[in-house]
Amino acid sequence: MSEITLTSSDNESFKVEKKIAERSILIKNMIGDLAGDDDDGFEIPIPNVRSTVLKKVIEWATHHKDTSFPDDEDEDSRKSAPVDEWDKEFLKVDQEMLYEIILAANYLNIRPLLDAGCKVVAEMIRGKSPEEIRRTFNIVNDFSPEEEEAIKRENEWAEDR
Amino acid sequence: MTDLPKSNDLTATWTFVEPGLQLIIGGSEENSGVTPQMYMNVYSAIYNYCVNKSRTPQNLASSTTNQSSLLVGAEIYKKLKDYLITYVSSLKKKQNESFLEFYVKRWTRFTVGAGYLNHVFDYMNRYWVQKERSDGRRDIFDVNTLSLLTWRDVMFKPNSDLLIKEILEQIRLQRENQVVDTRSLSVAIRSFVLLGIDTQDLKKQNLDLYTTLFETPFLEATKSFYAAESNEYLSSHNIVDYMRKAEQRINEEESRETLYLDEHSKKPLTDALNDTLIVAHSQTLYNEFNNLLDQHQIDHISKMFNLFNRVPSTLEPLAKKFSDYIETQGLNAIDNLLNDTQNEASKESVTNEDGSIAPKKPNVSKSQVDPKLYIKALIQVYQIYQKIVSSAFQNNPIFVKALDSACRSYINVNSIAKPLNSKSTSKTPDLLAKYSDNLLKKNKDADATSDMSVDDIMIVFKFITDKDAFETHYRRLLARRLIHGTSSSEEAEESIIQRLQTENSLEYTSKMTKMFQDVRASNELKILFKEEVTRDWENSKNIVPDFQPFILAETMWPFNYNKTNFQLPTDLVPTYTKLEEIYQSKHNGRILKWLWSLGRGEIKANLSKPGKPPFTLSMSLYQMAIILPFNENDSYSIGELMELTGLDNQTIIASIVPFLKYKILNQSPLGQDNLKNSETKISCISEYKFKRLKINLFNGVKLEQKQESDDAEKEINDDRKMFLQACIVRIMKARKNLSHTNLINEVIQQSHQRFNAKIIDIKRCIDLLIEKEYLQRGENQTYEYLA
Repeated sequence: MSEITLTSSDNESFKVEKKIAERSILIKNMIGDLAGDDDDGFEIPIPNVRSTVLKKVIEWATHHKDTSFPDDEDEDSRKSAPVDEWDKEFLKVDQEMLYEIILAANYLNIRPLLDAGCKVVAEMIRGKSPEEIRRTFNIVNDFSPEEEEAIKRENEWAEDR
Repeated sequence: MTDLPKSNDLTATWTFVEPGLQLIIGGSEENSGVTPQMYMNVYSAIYNYCVNKSRTPQNLASSTTNQSSLLVGAEIYKKLKDYLITYVSSLKKKQNESFLEFYVKRWTRFTVGAGYLNHVFDYMNRYWVQKERSDGRRDIFDVNTLSLLTWRDVMFKPNSDLLIKEILEQIRLQRENQVVDTRSLSVAIRSFVLLGIDTQDLKKQNLDLYTTLFETPFLEATKSFYAAESNEYLSSHNIVDYMRKAEQRINEEESRETLYLDEHSKKPLTDALNDTLIVAHSQTLYNEFNNLLDQHQIDHISKMFNLFNRVPSTLEPLAKKFSDYIETQGLNAIDNLLNDTQNEASKESVTNEDGSIAPKKPNVSKSQVDPKLYIKALIQVYQIYQKIVSSAFQNNPIFVKALDSACRSYINVNSIAKPLNSKSTSKTPDLLAKYSDNLLKKNKDADATSDMSVDDIMIVFKFITDKDAFETHYRRLLARRLIHGTSSSEEAEESIIQRLQTENSLEYTSKMTKMFQDVRASNELKILFKEEVTRDWENSKNIVPDFQPFILAETMWPFNYNKTNFQLPTDLVPTYTKLEEIYQSKHNGRILKWLWSLGRGEIKANLSKPGKPPFTLSMSLYQMAIILPFNENDSYSIGELMELTGLDNQTIIASIVPFLKYKILNQSPLGQDNLKNSETKISCISEYKFKRLKINLFNGVKLEQKQESDDAEKEINDDRKMFLQACIVRIMKARKNLSHTNLINEVIQQSHQRFNAKIIDIKRCIDLLIEKEYLQRGENQTYEYLA
């Protein structure tokens, strides 16, 4: 079984089974383009991801190496699928880490992980008032009262009554 | 690790990625020089640029009104587009290479590069391009498509004429058996397909470019090449060689097709080849067909079929020729048989002139043809062409049909069965029935029937039009076999009935089946009769115990009941009475009519020298009635015999001739004509000498052949009339109202399994039914059913 070496932005290398690495479409394409038949020991730098985050991503990919995800084209089933229980546990991390995992998934083109991350964030917003959301995400309210009133009026239709 | 450029600096970003792009799209070998490092750097630089630009605050200002501006890519897309145009324009052909070589080499490299490029720009494809396209921008494409379109516009379109010219030239050289680089051809032709991009829907393949720019000129070139070649070839070679050549050419083109043509061209190419190689020369090929049949060249016929089979519309004329040919062969075979028979007969008459027997008429009448030779001749022709149908024509339905229709034609109408334009009905059913009779009759000469078979009967039966006529003739002969016990095997008889039923219908064999039932019931009656007689032997002394009665259902059997004045000999009266008694006790109220003329029996005659065993004479009942009186008296006049027996003079003569021949009875005065004179004396000899003890006198009785066949003819016609009337009534009862034409058509359709109904006969039957008030005429040539 061929192994690939992934190197993080802070120069930490991880030896990973090819199949696991290929959960990233970016890596998969690249191996296809450059590696030829002999792909063992192929080394790929990942300049945009720190080692702690890359480690998490590899953990996720290892867990899901045999999972079959819905087709990328099938937006409906992708959107409506609930977050996998394991993923939910896996993503119980501090906000900074969660944010970085989502960015890495986007960068490496790992659709299912990106989806799971975004859904978890969406769960954090659901059912909360603007004030609660601000607190959750540490956001400073920079609207003037008039601006805020205007936005509320515009979005009145969305109020849950 | 290389430091990535600042993410918000377009110029820096582009300057950073450009050397990588140069290697990706234009490196000399397929992927030489592109390292994972470089690949990731380019990807990351593009990613960073897009992501960070999207995040920069100045974009937020307009975010509520236009969300798409959140995604960045337009500038980098424009840079890439310009870069590609510049790159493709810079490609130049070398002095020593052909345009095709140059094109294929560059295109091959370019498509690989475009694929990589698409991947390193993946982030832009995923967000910016997708967003632009879903917003309706049809001039923005993913990077791979953008690359191909650039190639199409900058490289392909300005040079397409030259490219096609060189491709067609290569194909021409290949057709002339020169070695060409097929891989290059394949790549070049494939590029026409790949460049056919539908800018509205990128997933849809658009073959317009391929068909207009390549396929059309290609087909033109193909047609003119093969038109010229085939004409030239035919002018110097024979047809068989040509067929071989055409077959080879087609095979070559087909393998070429899979080598480098798009699936789309398969059919038009096939059509072009078929048109130029087959259809254009079909007449020439048709003209050769009869020769091939004459020479029995199965392989060549098969080749011809395979060629024509590629164009189904060309098969019909060939099948028509085939059918005509078989018919001619069938008719010739029968003509030859007829000639042979006539020659044979005239030879016989010549040799007979020296002998005592009167010479036969040299012109043999058709009925004297040996049924076996006739049926065998019919079948032989069928079998020869049946084999050709299966071996050369692969049992193609069109040729199966052609064979069938030819056979139906010559089997029913030929010089023996029915000369052309003759109004009489076909003799084939009759001859086939006779053939069957010869096969099924007890036969001393086993060799004569060894090559005859039920299969033969079924083959010819299948083609007979007048199936009802065959049934009538067959049934007559079957009746005789059953009554006279001359059938060789009951099993064989029943198996034929079974097969006729399967081939035609249950109704078709119903009468024959009933006949078998009658025979079986009669055998049971025979056993019962004997039991009764043995049980009550005291009162049965004068009864013949081994009496075989036949109780026949009147309408099923081909015998006519004629009331006669025949006097049953007194010796047989007790037997007769006993049978009537037993039968009546079983089936009260049924009337038995006696067909005396069919009765037969054996008589022991004590005419031997003293001490020798008596003679056994088998004879008809009439003969019995004539001979028995001689127990009382040695001599009677014809007149007296007529009175005693109640038989007419003609029957007396027919019955008495065998006795005279065997010299058991003597006549005075002699001479055939004197038998008509009632004064002529007939006397019995008292002591008889003959080498055999068993003598069959019955066989000498002359049966009225002519009468028989007239009867059969009449029966067939009567049955047909009944059938047609029944048919008309059945149809009209269901429809109530029907036009003349429709009625006629339905009747013809319903009767064709039995015979070909003639319109005039149907009309007559309709008139008859109107007379009988089953139908009446309505308006506009219609009929109405009267309940």
